[in-house]
Amino acid sequence: MKFGIFFELSVPRPWTRESERTVYNNALEQAAVADEVGFDYCWAVEHHFLEEYSHCSSPELFLTAVAMKTKRIRVGHGIVVCVPEYAHPIRVAERTAVLDILSGGRLEVGTGRSATWCELGGFRANPDETKKTWDEYVHCLPKMWTQERYSYEGRVWSMPERAILPKPYQKPHPPMWVAVTSPGTEIDAADRGMGALGISYDPLPVQEKKLLEYRRHIQNCEPVGEIINNNCAALTFLFCNEDDKYAIKHGTAMFMQFGLLANQIVMCREAYPTKSYPSAGLLPAVRSQAQGPSDSAGVPEGVAIGDPERILKTLKKWESAGFDSINFLTQAVEMIPQEKVLESLRLFGKHIIPHFKRDQNSERVVSQGVEAGGAR
Amino acid sequence: MRFGTLDINEIAASAPQIDGYGTEPLSLKNAQVLNVTSEVSAAGSDALLPPAMNPSIPPYVECTVMVCPESPWGPFTTGELRLVGRAGYRPRARTFKTYIDNPQAGAELARRWGFPTVPGKARLHLRHERIVVEIDDDRGRRVLDAEMIDREGISGSDIQYVASMHLARNRADGKLVLVQVDPDYVFSKVERGFSHFINVDQEAWGTKGLLKLTNPIISTYAQCEVILPKIRFICDPNRNALESTVRV
Repeated sequence: MKFGIFFELSVPRPWTRESERTVYNNALEQAAVADEVGFDYCWAVEHHFLEEYSHCSSPELFLTAVAMKTKRIRVGHGIVVCVPEYAHPIRVAERTAVLDILSGGRLEVGTGRSATWCELGGFRANPDETKKTWDEYVHCLPKMWTQERYSYEGRVWSMPERAILPKPYQKPHPPMWVAVTSPGTEIDAADRGMGALGISYDPLPVQEKKLLEYRRHIQNCEPVGEIINNNCAALTFLFCNEDDKYAIKHGTAMFMQFGLLANQIVMCREAYPTKSYPSAGLLPAVRSQAQGPSDSAGVPEGVAIGDPERILKTLKKWESAGFDSINFLTQAVEMIPQEKVLESLRLFGKHIIPHFKRDQNSERVVSQGVEAGGAR
Repeated sequence: MRFGTLDINEIAASAPQIDGYGTEPLSLKNAQVLNVTSEVSAAGSDALLPPAMNPSIPPYVECTVMVCPESPWGPFTTGELRLVGRAGYRPRARTFKTYIDNPQAGAELARRWGFPTVPGKARLHLRHERIVVEIDDDRGRRVLDAEMIDREGISGSDIQYVASMHLARNRADGKLVLVQVDPDYVFSKVERGFSHFINVDQEAWGTKGLLKLTNPIISTYAQCEVILPKIRFICDPNRNALESTVRV
């Protein structure tokens, strides 16, 4: 089982000139520590206009900085929004290739389509169309990365033959993922041979159900790229402290505050009725996790809050359920002092990570000529 | 986080008196509900929400017209303007006014659920390509014109209505409370279309010129049964709903 940190980059009011800079600098420091102590992934979201909740609108820049400050941790788009009003597909292919080069072949490309009216409406994107545009993007991206010259005539976009440059460092191309919030998206991921990047804070039983569907469908996938990324990642919160009560008090407060902030945002389903968004997205999931079954200390099921012993027990459940990796939100609106977040990451590296198998043979990326840094 | 900054004293005098919180549910069969929505500027809208509520991101208003051909008090039609925000974790809307054309129904809606009813008349004009909304006050002065354009059928499961928060004074103890009213809907036909607000008379709605409509969202039209529920939750209008909400 692998572990990742997951950045939303939430910035609490009142905002000063230094607020965002502090959050970004703290996050970079956390990424460096995560790299040192053995975390495998560092993911960053792409969100726009989401006041306080997420000020991470240019993740490719943030992740480039992470790559420059780290040696081995993989950097992940969690996710690139595959909607034309946000970014042209050529630009997505180009900038991800650059990030892969600069990171030395450490890029993971999560894809998605946004779930909030705040963002879709802000870009004047049509919510009815986003599933279709996402599908077109993910089928084109691997070809743009791997073909010397590329041309395309599609429903959403087209281009005459050109060389899209540069090409990614990883060969044949970086692993691709799909953000899974709406029911059924895990099947979309599996059918296309892409990893399922859980980004809703669903309780373990809900995520377990999605995992089973994913595994069933990926057996018969038609991969969009040249590799199948048979990986299922879950997302939850992490706050580890030697003092179990301190960890629960402050970790739960962080968790609740994050949920509260998330719920201020107008989701697509709330404002714009469409079949394209059958789920309200991450917001009810946050709530349901917060209100779901808790252990005797009041920690919601599946949430990695507590002392190392408590967290280890929790994560063993995720491992038993069959997840390949689990990503953690480690901060929300700077509620946890930076030194405590860093301490939490270090404790995790020291006391938790060694308990999980790090066997390379357990890798689920089915290699079909995958060779990071290989000849073009 | 931002919170509403409305001075409750400004609107306390117009809050209806509610006869406790024990009202029974009421089914309104064969109703029509039209919702026309638009984003509004954040600058003014915070001052229209009570301190119990948070503005949504982005803030938006809903014009809601409900045509009820059957009720214990005879047919009635309501026309409302609501500002959507949040009460704690949940989407909730402050209702500015409920114009209603049946005095007895108006008195009952105010007494039992705290609807801020005032006399007036709301009309829906159904055409093939649009539905026109007109809301007048009791002097016949037009207070709102809007349209839903390019009607298109959708499923009832695609709709998520936002519950209302009504400022009311409890007759028993004289306390001002926000009453949550969260109707159930059983849909028989649902459509959506583009929103077009033509005119909103801010003086009439009591919004102090603070509502600046900026970006139309979408409209929905439903033929349905509306079930006005038992009151389940109230909160203190002057305290964060997350801390002051109580089950009744």
